[in-house]
Amino acid sequence: MSANNGSLNCAETQTQLAMLLYGELSFDREEQVESHLDGCAACRESLERQRALHAALDAVQIEPSPSLLIECRGDLQARLMEEPDQPAKPHSGWWDQLVDLLTLRPPSVGSSVRWLRPAGALTLIAIGFFAARMTPLMTFRGGPFRAMGVGQSAASRVRTVEPEPDGRIQIVLDETRQRTVAGRMDDEPIRALLLSAARDPSDPGLRAVTVDILNSHAQSAEVRDTLVYALRHDQNAGVRLKAMQGLKPFAGQPEVRSALEQVLLTDSNPGLRTQAIDVLTSGPSEDLDRQMVGTLQELMDRESNAYVRQRSLTVLQAIKASAETY
Amino acid sequence: MAPKPGLQADEAALIRAAQAGDRAAFEQLVRAYDLSVLRLAMNLLRSPEDARDVYQEAFLRVFRKLDTFRFDCTFHTWLYRIVTNLCLDHLRKRKVRKEEPAIVASGEGTLDRMDLIPEARADGDPQRQLFSGQLRQRVKEVLSQLSPRERLVFEMRHYQGMRLRAIGESLGTTEEAAKNCLFRATQKMRIALGDFV
Repeated sequence: MSANNGSLNCAETQTQLAMLLYGELSFDREEQVESHLDGCAACRESLERQRALHAALDAVQIEPSPSLLIECRGDLQARLMEEPDQPAKPHSGWWDQLVDLLTLRPPSVGSSVRWLRPAGALTLIAIGFFAARMTPLMTFRGGPFRAMGVGQSAASRVRTVEPEPDGRIQIVLDETRQRTVAGRMDDEPIRALLLSAARDPSDPGLRAVTVDILNSHAQSAEVRDTLVYALRHDQNAGVRLKAMQGLKPFAGQPEVRSALEQVLLTDSNPGLRTQAIDVLTSGPSEDLDRQMVGTLQELMDRESNAYVRQRSLTVLQAIKASAETY
Repeated sequence: MAPKPGLQADEAALIRAAQAGDRAAFEQLVRAYDLSVLRLAMNLLRSPEDARDVYQEAFLRVFRKLDTFRFDCTFHTWLYRIVTNLCLDHLRKRKVRKEEPAIVASGEGTLDRMDLIPEARADGDPQRQLFSGQLRQRVKEVLSQLSPRERLVFEMRHYQGMRLRAIGESLGTTEEAAKNCLFRATQKMRIALGDFV
């Protein structure tokens, strides 16, 4: 068919077919193409071929695996932990403001406490002065040293020894001293110490006890972050298991769910992987979304432990999903 | 690439919270878009490692530059400007190196990445499987022959379902220029794959 009266010929029409299928033609151009197609069997056949081509291209689309997505999220989270906070932080708390003052850190944008910086510097000087007055004198020049009892320190190490002209010897000690603090979880210093202890790499027993305590306060986002960190990174399976128990009521939250999926696909402990299945699928079966099904199917592909496979299979069968990926 | 339902209304609030330093809000923003970003990078670069790099770098840039986002375009457009620039860089570097990372090492020797991709349902029919394999091979060839921009526009329109106007905005060009790019890409596809349909 040839062009006449502003209509399109076959060659012109065929160049427009892909755009027609993408819905990217203007109203007028689409009218012209459809008008031509109405009267031209050859071009209608071309349109069908173009449609088949689109369908064929659809078939080779790659869907990233759930484990790749989880790994990407984990990597990003780790990188973000190294990033400083955003500069604009207008609602920082009293602690941040105090730290800003004492460390002379530049105040956040829009902060109303710039004038307090000199006051912060004076505070530092005052703290130094009074601390010096209240700290026992650590020299041989008088009695205070003996009264302090160097042998009572939990751990001490001689850093330097220096003879003085009058026959005395000056020794500098590095000391680690124990101190007991007590308080409730609501107390900021107690909370900060617990959150830090939960990440102490040197003592799994300490971490286990701490995570146990934190579990009953997992409604706090800050505590939950620490539990998620333990679930993802703690070297000790017992600690990871405890963290998972604390996070169970929050399994619907994205960061918790992501951590559980990571455990499911990558944790070395089959007991934890099984628990992760139970926690992730504990809600009504109709709530299991496509991503969860994909995760379980991927688990079926890679899982070597028969019991974990069976648990995963049972869940997939219960929701009438295939155990295989295609 | 549509964000999750219900997100649009809260998105501005999330962005503002993230700009004020709320990391949980930033994570929610990431979760709303990251699967689409990874899918685009994966389909475009056909390499999990490169897709992972793009994912990482894109969201780190978003994190670092979020305070410069002024709501004068959608967050989606702004994010995709970053993602598409990174993908184009990767594709251009490959062109310079004249190599496609199409081969990966495995325990059983080297494998073509496209072969690692789960086979579309071929219903166990050997003839259909053969056809599917040939088609995949041909698609791979023709994709590698497209220019980086053609490939990107095609990917965004065909697989991500983005409108040409949005693609143009993401690439910092006009809708018409994006349309021309898509037109060239589809013409090449049609010529190369005509025998299969």
